[in-house]
Amino acid sequence: MKSMAITIFVVLIIAILALYLFSFQVREIETALVTTFGKPTRNITEPGWYFKLPAPIQRVHTFDSRMRVYEADLGETTTKGAAPIIVNTYVVWKIVEPLRFFNAIGTIKEATSKLYSQISDTQNKVIGQHAFSEFVNSDPSRIRFKQIEEEMLEELQKSLADANYGIEIKTLGIRQLKISEDVSKDVFERMKAERNRRTEATKSEGDAQARKIESDANLKKEVLEATAKARATIIKAKGDAEAAQYYEMLEAEPELAIFLRNIDALKEILKERSTIVLTTDTDIVRLLREMPQIKLIEPNEPQIQP
Amino acid sequence: MDEQNHKKNQNSQVQSPGNKTGEELDAAGKSLSEALRISFAILKVIMLVLVVIFLASGFRTVGSDEQAIVLRFGKIRGVGEERLLGPGLHWVFPYPVDEIVKIPVQKKVNLPIDSFWYYQSASELLGSGSRRKDRVPEKLNPVTDGYCITRSEKQDQILTGTAAGSDYNIIHCKWQLTYKIDDPERFFRNVYVDMEKIPAGQNYTDVISKNINRPLEYMFADAVVTSMVNYTIDDVLFEQLAGVTQHVKNVLQEKLNAIESGIQVVSVQLTDKTWPRQVDEAFQESIKASQERQKAVSEAKTYAEQTLNKVAGPIAAQLYAALQDETVSEEQKEYLWSQLAGTAQDMIAEARAYQTKVVASAQARAEYLKKILPEFRKRPELVMQKIYQDAIVEVLNNAEDKYVVQPVKDSKGREVRIYISKDINIKQSEQK
Repeated sequence: MKSMAITIFVVLIIAILALYLFSFQVREIETALVTTFGKPTRNITEPGWYFKLPAPIQRVHTFDSRMRVYEADLGETTTKGAAPIIVNTYVVWKIVEPLRFFNAIGTIKEATSKLYSQISDTQNKVIGQHAFSEFVNSDPSRIRFKQIEEEMLEELQKSLADANYGIEIKTLGIRQLKISEDVSKDVFERMKAERNRRTEATKSEGDAQARKIESDANLKKEVLEATAKARATIIKAKGDAEAAQYYEMLEAEPELAIFLRNIDALKEILKERSTIVLTTDTDIVRLLREMPQIKLIEPNEPQIQP
Repeated sequence: MDEQNHKKNQNSQVQSPGNKTGEELDAAGKSLSEALRISFAILKVIMLVLVVIFLASGFRTVGSDEQAIVLRFGKIRGVGEERLLGPGLHWVFPYPVDEIVKIPVQKKVNLPIDSFWYYQSASELLGSGSRRKDRVPEKLNPVTDGYCITRSEKQDQILTGTAAGSDYNIIHCKWQLTYKIDDPERFFRNVYVDMEKIPAGQNYTDVISKNINRPLEYMFADAVVTSMVNYTIDDVLFEQLAGVTQHVKNVLQEKLNAIESGIQVVSVQLTDKTWPRQVDEAFQESIKASQERQKAVSEAKTYAEQTLNKVAGPIAAQLYAALQDETVSEEQKEYLWSQLAGTAQDMIAEARAYQTKVVASAQARAEYLKKILPEFRKRPELVMQKIYQDAIVEVLNNAEDKYVVQPVKDSKGREVRIYISKDINIKQSEQK
C-alpha cells in the first residue's frame, strides 16, 4: 500500500516534468509560433494547451496579441495647397499572424520602425491630397477631418496588408494638429485683427441696442400718454354730455339761466385776494351817499319786499 | 532522496525476517528499521502539508471594486456570466492549471491632459503672473507649445484667395478625463498591459493605469483635435462649453468602442482654457467692450422701465402690448386700464374729477333754476335783484380790501390814487 502511494507520487512528478518539456500554454492574450530546429512550423492563434517536442528540437515563441499604441513623431508635411502642417499621428496595432510577424519582423522594436516608415508614407500621401481648408474651415460642413483620418487608416491598412507583416492596425488618429512657427505669428496677427473688428462691432452694437431700447420706451411712453389723454378727453366729453341734459331744464328761462351763470362766474372770479374799488354811484353802496326815495305802492298789492 | 529511502526501507523489511539467527544483528536492524520508519512518517507528514499548502494557494480574494477572470490552461474559463468572478473568496486550481487576473471595474481614474497648453518654464509654473507678459514669445514652437486649432467665425463676406486656408484660431486648453473599465474581459483581451515588468509587490491592477494612460492620452487628444475644429474659439471660451465637452466625450467613446477596449468614459472636463498670450490685449479689449455693451443695454433697460413706470405704473408694458394687440379682449384692456398708475392715471383722474364737477354743477344750477322758477315768474325783478345783491355781498365779503370813492362833479382832470399792497404777509401782520 505504501509502496503503491509512493509509486503514484513518483509517476506524478515524472509526468509533471514531462509536461513541462512536452507541452505549453498559449494564453488568451497571446499568439504563439512553434519552430522546429529554428524553422517555423506551427502558427497558434487560439488560446489553450498544446504539445510540442522538447527543446532544442522545438521551441515556442509567444507574442502578445493585445493592442499596442505607437506614435509616429513626424515633422512638417505639406497639404495640397502647399501649406505647411504638422500632424502627429498615432496608431493602435496588434500582432495577428505570429508566423508572418516572426518571419518579416521578429521584434516589437523592429515593428515600430517599420510602422514609422509606413505611417510616414501614408501621411504624406493622404495629407498631400487634401487642402488645409479641409482640416479646419469656418464652414463646418466643409471640414473633412474625420474622413482624412479614415482615409489614412484605410491606406495604412492596405499597405500593411501588402507588406504582409502579420500586423493589423485597429485605429489611427491625429493627436496633434499644428502649424509652423512662422505661420503662428500670422495667425496671431489675424486673430488680433478679427478681435479688434469684433470689439468695434460690439461697441456700436451696444450703442445701437441701448438706443433702440430707449427710443422704444419713449415711443411706448408717448403712445400710452396719447391713449390716456384720449381716454381723459372721452371722460370729459362724457361729463359734458351728461351735464348737457340739465341744460334743457335751463332753457325754460334762458335769460335767467345766463344771468345765474354770470353771477356764478363773478363769484368764482373774485373769490380770493381781490381788492374792489367802488364809486358811490354804484347801486349797492349808494346808501353811503344818500337816502333812497321810496315810491309807495298801492296797498292792494300783496307783495312785501323781503 | 525519496527513492533512496524507499529502497532502504524495502531492504530492511526483506532482511529482517531472514536474519533471525544473529540476535545482535537483529537488534541493530530493528533499531535501524525503527529509525527509518519514523523518518519516513515525518516525510509523509511534510509531503501532506506541502500538498495542502499547494491546494490552499488556490484561494484568492477578489476585492469589492474588482472582477476577476480565470485562465485555465491559458483560456478564459466558463461561459457567459460565469466568466467573471465577483467580489469574495474564490478557489482556483493552483498554477499552472489556473491563473487568476483581477481587474478593477468600479475604480474611476482621472487622467489630466496638458498637451494643449503652451510651454511654461519652471518659474512660470510656480506663478509669477506680473512678469509673464514681458516674456511672451512672438511665435508658438510646434514642438514645445501645445494648442488646439479651432475654426473661425463663419464670415459673410467672401474671403480672398490667400485667406482660404488661414481662417482658424488658436486656443490653449487643459482637460481632465475620468474613465473606468466597464468590460473587464474585453479590456483584458485587447488592451496591452506589460505583465512582465510588474514590479515586485504589485499586481496587474496596480500597473494598469501606468500602462494605459499613454494610449488613452493619445486617443483623448485625437478626440479633442477632431472635435475642436468644429467649434469657434468663442464657442469654447464663452458659449458652448457643454456642447464641446460632450462632443469630445462622444468621439472618444466611439474610438474606444471601435477597438473594443472595454473602457468607459465617465466624464470629460475642460479644466482650463485661454486665448494665446500673444493676443491677450485684443481679447481683453473685446471682453471689456462686451461688458460695456451689457452695461449700456442694462442702463437703457432701466431707463425704459423707469420711463414706462412713470407714465403708467407697473402695468405699462402689458397695457402697451394689449393696445397693439387686437386679439386682446376689451374686458382685458379695461382691467389693465383700471390698474393704471403714473402720469397717465393723473390725466384720467383729472378728467374724472372734471366729469363729476361739470355734471354736479350743471345739475345744481338746473335744480336751483327749477326751484326759483315759480317765484321768478311771479316777481322777476325782485328775484333777480335778490340774487344780484347776494352775489355782490358775497363778492365784497370775500374781497380783502374795499374802497368806496365818491366822485366829485366836474371832476375832469382829477384822479384818485389807491395804493394796493400785493404782499399778503404784510397784510396779515397788519391785521394782527
